[in-house]
Amino acid sequence: MPNVVELRGLTKTFGDFRALDGVDLDVPEGSVFGFLGPNGAGKTTTLRILTGLANQTSGTATIFGHDVQADGSLARAELGFLPDVPGYYSWMTAREFLLFTGQLFGLSGSALDERVASLLEMSGLTDVKTKVGGYSRGMKQRLGIAQALVNAPRLLMLDEPTSALDPMGRKDVLEMIAALKGKTTVFFSTHILNDVERVCDYVAVLDRGRIIKQAPIDEFKNQGGACRIMLEVTSDTEAFVEMLAGEAWASECHAEGALIHCVVSDLQVARERVPALVAQRGIGLVRLADEERTLEDVFVGMVGGDV
Amino acid sequence: MHGFLVFLKKEFREILRTWRLWVLPAIMIVVAIISPVFAKITPALLESVAGETPGYVFEVPDPVTVDSYLQFWANAIQMGILGVIIVAAGGIAGERKNGTAILVLTKPVSRGAFVVAKAISNSVLFLAATIIGAAVCVGLTIVMFDSSGIADFAVSTALLYLLGVVFISITLLLGVAIKSQAGAAGASLGAFLAVSLLSIWGPARDYTVAGLMVAGDRILRGDEVALLWPVLTSVVLIVLCVGGAVLLFRRKEL
Repeated sequence: MPNVVELRGLTKTFGDFRALDGVDLDVPEGSVFGFLGPNGAGKTTTLRILTGLANQTSGTATIFGHDVQADGSLARAELGFLPDVPGYYSWMTAREFLLFTGQLFGLSGSALDERVASLLEMSGLTDVKTKVGGYSRGMKQRLGIAQALVNAPRLLMLDEPTSALDPMGRKDVLEMIAALKGKTTVFFSTHILNDVERVCDYVAVLDRGRIIKQAPIDEFKNQGGACRIMLEVTSDTEAFVEMLAGEAWASECHAEGALIHCVVSDLQVARERVPALVAQRGIGLVRLADEERTLEDVFVGMVGGDV
Repeated sequence: MHGFLVFLKKEFREILRTWRLWVLPAIMIVVAIISPVFAKITPALLESVAGETPGYVFEVPDPVTVDSYLQFWANAIQMGILGVIIVAAGGIAGERKNGTAILVLTKPVSRGAFVVAKAISNSVLFLAATIIGAAVCVGLTIVMFDSSGIADFAVSTALLYLLGVVFISITLLLGVAIKSQAGAAGASLGAFLAVSLLSIWGPARDYTVAGLMVAGDRILRGDEVALLWPVLTSVVLIVLCVGGAVLLFRRKEL
């Protein structure tokens, strides 16, 4: 798959502070790409450079082969963008705003009317006749995604699209993103791991201005071969957790009620050793099962838990 | 300039549908109404005040038509320009603060188009407000005085409009340089005071934009006024400020 976005050695400094430090990144065409990182990692700075809102100190950034500094207009014609806090003309209705943004892309006539009607339908704003100034945050975010799609972009960039939303608003936005899978490339920044797990097929982790890892999400979760196990013993749960924690192949062991969860470096060793340890302790083993390792496990291991 | 006409159309619709429609016309209409009225009643007021002081004789000449237009000039050059600055300060600085500039400028719209559309829309708004104000003032003046002096008033009003466009341009430039709307307005007011002070100094009055600050008054009083340099330097200043705003905005990070 060709790359839609390519960053090479992208660096951005503010005085002595390096917000981005030699970022290399490839976003494959057709992917839903999660740009993950803790607050202050440099995600928004990267998006601001890609959209032409800021200039890099060094390095290159291209969208569909267009350098975003030299050919900013060409690059922007191909993309739709939703900033983290979108600002609207409060005196416009959603329909007026979408017509306006469509016209900025050179759309007009019945093609624009039809496009706007379908976007209003998709964002659930068809019957909302009030002005944007009176919208809830969730409605504004849905309108934000709709305006970012008005030109049927080949690349949709979203900056923290769910971070300020309540659970229902978040669900709506994630469903909108999931519905775009296969239709356009979606590149979105977030610090919410669950969002990435739900909709992304590629992930890159940015921390302190550097890319730590970029991979398909399945490969990402299996990084280092580590995985999780869940077990239940008949008694002495807390004491058995301490016993497990003393094993070299086990880490992050903790009890949740009667269940014990552990990250293990070698699943086969765990399967052999857990029953032996149970027998050694003189208790019974109710169950032992593999657990899928979450993105959070990987992420916390990479950036030290500052999510 | 990508997106210029679409954005300019948005600017005019915004004027028609927000507070911006009312501020400048309202200021100019108020100025237009109070000027002839004050010109008419001021001598009578002064005489009545003086009459209450025993042994003090105070002679005030009867009001004439030109007093109405002089009063309009004096009021409009302060209140009108202040209104221009307030409205123009909300242009670029306001869109940056509200985040609307980000949504627009991440589309194929050039920053030059953004700035020039702001300059044109504000200038057209002030033109409409000036014409309305001047028409109301002329109408009332004819009713309360007579129809003389309209030609000189038209020239002075044209100069007032040019001065307004100068301050629209200065405010847009400062609105790009200073992120805050209030900061841009405050700095523009500072520029207005500086130009006002410069107008006291003869060479500045004769050869720079500062001459516009007093030109209308002098024309209405029947003085011979050389307008070439003040008008020329004003036009140059407008071009420099708008051009400077475009260049500066292109380099600004949003």
